[in-house]
Amino acid sequence: MSEPILDVKNIYKEFTSKGVCVKAVTDVSFTVNEGETIGIVGESGCGKTTLGRCIVRGIEATSGSVMYRAADGKVYDFLKIDNAQMKVMRKEIQMIFQDPFASLDPRMTVYDIISEPLRANFRLSKDELADRVMDIAKKVGLNTSYLKRYPHAFSGGQRQRIGIARALVLMPRVIVCDEAVSALDVSIRAQIINLLKDLQNELHLTYIFISHDLSVVEHISDKVGVMYLGKMAEYGTSAQIFGHPLHPYTEALLSAVPVADPDYKMDRIPLEGEIPNPANPPSGCYFHERCRYCAEECSKKVPVYHEMGSSHFVACHRAEELKLRGFSQVLDESGK
Amino acid sequence: MTDDTLLEIKDLHIDIATDEGTLTAVRGVNLDIKKGETLGLVGESGCGKSLTSKAILGINTANCKASGSIMFRPSGGSTGPIDLLTLKAHGKEIRAIRGKHISMIFQEPMIAFSPMYTIGNQINECTMLHITKDKEQSKAITIDMMKKVGIANAEKRYDQYPHEFSGGMLQRSLIAMALVCKPDLLIADEPTTALDVTIQAQILELMKNLHKEIGMSILYITHDLGTVAAMCDRVAVMYLGKIVEMASVQDIFKSPAHPYTQGLIGSVHKLGGKKSERLFSIEGTVPLALNLPAGCGFYDRCTKHIEGTCNVKDPELDVITGTHCTSCWLYAGKNGGK
Repeated sequence: MSEPILDVKNIYKEFTSKGVCVKAVTDVSFTVNEGETIGIVGESGCGKTTLGRCIVRGIEATSGSVMYRAADGKVYDFLKIDNAQMKVMRKEIQMIFQDPFASLDPRMTVYDIISEPLRANFRLSKDELADRVMDIAKKVGLNTSYLKRYPHAFSGGQRQRIGIARALVLMPRVIVCDEAVSALDVSIRAQIINLLKDLQNELHLTYIFISHDLSVVEHISDKVGVMYLGKMAEYGTSAQIFGHPLHPYTEALLSAVPVADPDYKMDRIPLEGEIPNPANPPSGCYFHERCRYCAEECSKKVPVYHEMGSSHFVACHRAEELKLRGFSQVLDESGK
Repeated sequence: MTDDTLLEIKDLHIDIATDEGTLTAVRGVNLDIKKGETLGLVGESGCGKSLTSKAILGINTANCKASGSIMFRPSGGSTGPIDLLTLKAHGKEIRAIRGKHISMIFQEPMIAFSPMYTIGNQINECTMLHITKDKEQSKAITIDMMKKVGIANAEKRYDQYPHEFSGGMLQRSLIAMALVCKPDLLIADEPTTALDVTIQAQILELMKNLHKEIGMSILYITHDLGTVAAMCDRVAVMYLGKIVEMASVQDIFKSPAHPYTQGLIGSVHKLGGKKSERLFSIEGTVPLALNLPAGCGFYDRCTKHIEGTCNVKDPELDVITGTHCTSCWLYAGKNGGK
């Protein structure tokens, strides 16, 4: 059993605009072991990107802590350390962004883009710098003879490789991938997912993989957290979440995924309406208005996020009594 | 053109004039859509699927030159088949077809509406143009359609602006706008790509129900194989401006013939599938359609290519069994034909 590398505790993030307070992330906690991939799924507006940014401290969380076990074995609260320590720690937690067309400076050559983190953090000679950049470019499958070109000369998949190279060049231990493959075509997406997995095995990386694409998340993740309206609705291993979900929202989400098989007739659980306005969330359980198992207490009391079974967390009043359908059961029933 | 065919595209070429030369984005597409069927057009970005669909409506930009023919038989029966490509882009004839006989749903509902007019106003435009000149009646038809696509509180929503709608609601409005004149053909260009999974499920369900009710044909354009399996009767797979495989949805998923189709299907992880498996991935990227080499466009990326055949001559779309067609040298002569 590997040790925890990140312990995310009670993260809150509130945005206030024109006197209206929006709770983007509310009390999210989870633990990440070294070498694992944690998938964070949810619909747009559920706070998954905000959570990712709070963890890397791209934005400051309102409250909470991210206990990070550094390479030297000491544990720091990543959200509290001062600037000098931050400069050291930043190198160990990096991020890959969603849109490969927006996240690369069009006026920098690819070589400059990949080497910038090194130049900002180390004093390296020209040759050393070139060596490290070439090394990482080869690792992510970029043609090293093209490094003097500008981003516009590259396709979406190649650009995403540049983004990955930039994140990897500092030899980080944790990478937050925010929708890292969502903007890519199907065949390119498979290449990048395979690349991320290979790099993980080779460099022993830990990923926090934020995505709205459930099939990608199932493929890549060891553990999965399902978010709804800023809260963690359910958290467990990939097999638990996809096989035996405990939260009605997870069940509905799974049933909505289109499957590339014409014989597959999914008994879809209709989810009426849309995500409520986070500035004015419903009372009690945030999901109760759209939930088909809604009971009386659901609209009155906020459900407690609690453990059920081994490291399977859920926030639902009726989690103990409900028998929800996971994906494996659905496949069994349709005779597969 | 047989009687049950609604639209027949023959040898469609689209050239785009660019600074670097002429880019042939669509290279000889042959396609037919039968009455009442849903045809999926699948391919990656840049394969020409959107250009093909826009050519049907004549709404490609001015630097696109289309050649070939697109025969369309409008309902009503007063006129025979019309070649849409011969119509002037701003002419009376095509304007009588757009919105009335053929309509389109676009990918980004947030961009498809003008922010300056109310939703009701924009849907109304279509009914005023094609159905009735009476304002009250037109409004009634519009509100009726808005209700049909599941917009709650349609009377109030009628007077709201696009920014007051969520993405899913806007897509419903766009569907209402496309279907309010009960068209013969609906072109849906990636209608759910910009939406969340649960909203996507709602919209697909809605499209299926309306399809049953109105009975129009749908040309469903997407890169998402999952939704294709749920929506379509037949599927055409496009690569680099050509159709490389066309078959019933069963055949495409159960026995894909073309290596590209096989690769596409293999590179999607199936929920509930084995986790440790590596995803199958097609190496390389789609080449740019400038200065294409002779031979099959997929040659460089294909793992099964035959040296000396595939890189010399471009294969034609040919029948393998029944209605299953593919353009690949691996199947040459297997049907007893050429």
